Amino acid sequence: MSDDTALSRLRQLEAASAKIPVRDALAQPGRPGVSSIYIHIPFCSHKCHYCDFYSFVDSRDRQRAFTSRLIRELASLAPLAGPVQTIFVGGGTPSLLKAELWQELLASLQETYDLSPFLKGDGEFTVECNPESVSEELLGVLKSGGVNRISMGAQSFNPEHLKTLERLHNPASVPVAVELVRNAGIDRVSVDLIYAIPGQSLQDLEHDLRHALAMPIEHLSCYELTYEPNTAMTKRLGMGEFVRTPEELEIEMFELVGAMATQAGFERYEVSNYAKPGCECRHNLAYWKQDEWIAAGPSASAHIGGHRYKNVPRLESYLTGDDEGFAMIVDHEPPDPVRLVQEKLMTGLRLREGLDVDSLLENLNAANARRVRETATEFENLGQLERTEGRWKLTPSGVLLADGIAGSLLSVIA
Amino acid sequence: MNIRNFSIIAHIDHGKSTLADRLLQATKAVSDREAKAQLLDSMDLERERGITIKASAVTVMHEHNGERYMLNFIDTPGHVDFGYEVSRALKACEGALLIVDAAQGVEAQTVVNAYLAIEQDLEIIPVLNKIDLPGARPDEIAMEVEQVLGFAAEDCVLCSAKSGVGIPELLDEICERFPGPRQAQTPKTRALIFDAVYDDYRGVIVYCRVFDGRLKVGDKIRMMGLGRTFTITELGKYTPKPQKVKEVGTGETCYLVASIKTLGDVRVGDTITIDHDPAEEALSGYEPPRQMVFCDFYPATNSDKKGNDFEALREAMEKLSLNDASFTFQTVHSEALGFGYRCGFLGLLHMDIIQERLEREGDVEIVQTAPTVSYKVEVRGKEGATEEIEVHNPADLPDMGSIIAIKEPIAKVEVMVPKEYIGDVMKLALDRRGIFTGQTFVSDARDMLTFEIPLAELIYDFYDKLKGLTAGYGTMDYEINEYRTDRLVKVDVLINGDPVEALAVIVHKEKSEQRGRQLLVRLKKQIPRHQFEIPLQCAIGGKIIARETIKGFRKNVTAKCYGGDVTRKRKLLEKQKKGKERMKTIGTVNIPQEAFMAVLDVGDE
Repeated sequence: MSDDTALSRLRQLEAASAKIPVRDALAQPGRPGVSSIYIHIPFCSHKCHYCDFYSFVDSRDRQRAFTSRLIRELASLAPLAGPVQTIFVGGGTPSLLKAELWQELLASLQETYDLSPFLKGDGEFTVECNPESVSEELLGVLKSGGVNRISMGAQSFNPEHLKTLERLHNPASVPVAVELVRNAGIDRVSVDLIYAIPGQSLQDLEHDLRHALAMPIEHLSCYELTYEPNTAMTKRLGMGEFVRTPEELEIEMFELVGAMATQAGFERYEVSNYAKPGCECRHNLAYWKQDEWIAAGPSASAHIGGHRYKNVPRLESYLTGDDEGFAMIVDHEPPDPVRLVQEKLMTGLRLREGLDVDSLLENLNAANARRVRETATEFENLGQLERTEGRWKLTPSGVLLADGIAGSLLSVIA
Repeated sequence: MNIRNFSIIAHIDHGKSTLADRLLQATKAVSDREAKAQLLDSMDLERERGITIKASAVTVMHEHNGERYMLNFIDTPGHVDFGYEVSRALKACEGALLIVDAAQGVEAQTVVNAYLAIEQDLEIIPVLNKIDLPGARPDEIAMEVEQVLGFAAEDCVLCSAKSGVGIPELLDEICERFPGPRQAQTPKTRALIFDAVYDDYRGVIVYCRVFDGRLKVGDKIRMMGLGRTFTITELGKYTPKPQKVKEVGTGETCYLVASIKTLGDVRVGDTITIDHDPAEEALSGYEPPRQMVFCDFYPATNSDKKGNDFEALREAMEKLSLNDASFTFQTVHSEALGFGYRCGFLGLLHMDIIQERLEREGDVEIVQTAPTVSYKVEVRGKEGATEEIEVHNPADLPDMGSIIAIKEPIAKVEVMVPKEYIGDVMKLALDRRGIFTGQTFVSDARDMLTFEIPLAELIYDFYDKLKGLTAGYGTMDYEINEYRTDRLVKVDVLINGDPVEALAVIVHKEKSEQRGRQLLVRLKKQIPRHQFEIPLQCAIGGKIIARETIKGFRKNVTAKCYGGDVTRKRKLLEKQKKGKERMKTIGTVNIPQEAFMAVLDVGDE
């Protein structure tokens, strides 16, 4: 494509409010390269009832077309990236992508991105897997493509509760899959659990945690079931098929997760995430600290140069990307320094390490900064927030109230 | 010429307007076709609610025994909220038709209205209406009339305004039994204003009854009470179409137009005289309108902070006040609700009507606080002198230390009730600090109970409770009798330790704990949970009399927050922020606007 046609195309897209962030980011000479990449693989064998990610059961065998398109998009985005520190492939169910397509995808990443940190053992390359769709073959492909971390969706070890979630796998497949991962030479494994499933007792959760922590894993994500809007789970709740877990029990469950994880040598480093020392998920920490990341694949969200946007979430629309390989985007938010402060407050307070407040509040005017500090004092007085050496951290009782505290801090910023 | 000035008084829906129309029709004042619509009521609202808000007077000519009679119908508001206006209208008459529904029987309002007519020394003809209804029991109801009101049962005139049965006989009775107007007592002109309405084109239209002398077009008149003068530009009578006349003589009624700009320049009950040749004394009985019930109106929406909603409300209030001089309003500012108006009304019905008219005619949405009554408070003034001040907002109550006594308005309440419910009604009345003063036999099925009940208790859901207890059959009416001292206290409400003035209430000492608890239970439902525990307390002076607690959140955290969730989550938190903007922050507690309404709202839990 000549420069002229590229420019006219850009103008068209500009008019459609698409793609501006990427153009802007590209236009800044000498800007440091982005070091994190998120890749979204939308395929699933079955839609779980709690899931609100973009995913579907593909009946038209579009994996090949999707992979080609994804490779094209990644190649277009590559000029934005510097040496890559973290890659996270989520979904959907990335392990459903055929091994040969994985091979192509990984080869192209090697070709178009600077993965040198991985050679020094510095990078983190995570792929989400479903226990029943991992195979020796697939794991071999992933391993040789640089993947060094697997996030395994276990959710529960109780068949009854899995059924409530419409999560269709055999609990026994989880330890088998983890062993396969280990045998493939991938040295880090994270397991996902969901708790506060309708009908689940504290004992049931203890059972799940025992099973999860008995496996050779370094990382545990343990989420309270969230009733996301427009999910089957929320509709079923609305129709009275089951009742929500009482708040008191949810709190007990949260505390049980913390206690058992700690006993097993894990530490909570985010509201729902636990890791053995040094095994925190660096990719997710990039989200929570509002670093930059590139996003590829339908519905994937990016944060580059202060812009937030999301790729178009429909596979069909995604497949017909533009001539340059970029995807159409939706939900674009242009850079806004105040918004960034709000976002950092919101996600930073969820972290054990807390927030470096002094440097953060420098981005606000004096009146706003003062109000934020005053509001923080109220929560400090309530024993929900503590300040040490210029950092704000939530106390154990404050962690459970993180949204309310963040909301209050945000609300005083004019 | 023979003149008969009379009113029609009745309980709501006992057929007053229909009867009036039928009488007009029978005198050929209106055609049969015109009679289809009720003529005397002019406002939509009146027709919908089946009540007459503003009186009018209609003059028709009738022939009886070969003589001509001028019949002046003076319509009255049917509700004692307008008791003073009713009494002025009745004062303009010599007779009254007391309409009783032959199926429903004597109702509380019938009794109160009949007493008003008796007080004015009017000749009363009891009329049993709707005798053609399947459920009509004219004989029994005639006995009720005799029992309760003391008119001989055989003196009742039976009719059906709907079918016209008995109407000619009623006209005969009007001519024969009602006396003519009294002779003039002075050559100077004296006319009683018994009503006034505002007309967009002609200004105020005054309805009056000439007692002495005469009125002519071009006369410069003086309102003896207010002292204002005007020149009559038009005199006339409604027949029921307006018909201009040059002059009006002693004993007649008329309307007059005199370039009067607002209703504030005219007082019902005032006496009109001739400016250059005035009467020495006004006709007796003039009183300014007396507001008994108070509440605040605030604009319901506060969409833009420039206060445009308040402006719209102000315009609507001012426009309505041209039409109704009997409610008062003044600007108030509530910390919780912003700018609004504190309004005084003649009674509860009057309050409802004003609110409806503001919303309907002014196209504004109103948030209304719970009604309160007007208290007379005796306070120690300077150098030991005692002063009496009027307080209708608990927040305005002076320091308890300086208060000698708080007096509250006491209503004389008549309740007409089927006998099987007497016990329940007694209990209700006594529970509302009522004093039982009498029980009258009405019929085998019903009795009339009389109580004295503080108005403050009456406006607190008494009527709804009465209807509920009596399967809808109980009826009541009341008049304000007097002010009486009682052990009234101001109950303060403390939220998280801070007193909230807008929530304070004046209640009886013995009821204070119960009311306090009810109030806190409601408040608890309205205030959202916070990150911390919020104590709610009621206190008298410094003493806590009731307490509730809003538990703090123990958990308010989203499980997942990843790259794609940031925007949505931030928007959710911003939404909470927007919600908070509509709340009033007291200390560190956010209180929604609704809480100020709900806790003051009437009714038990």
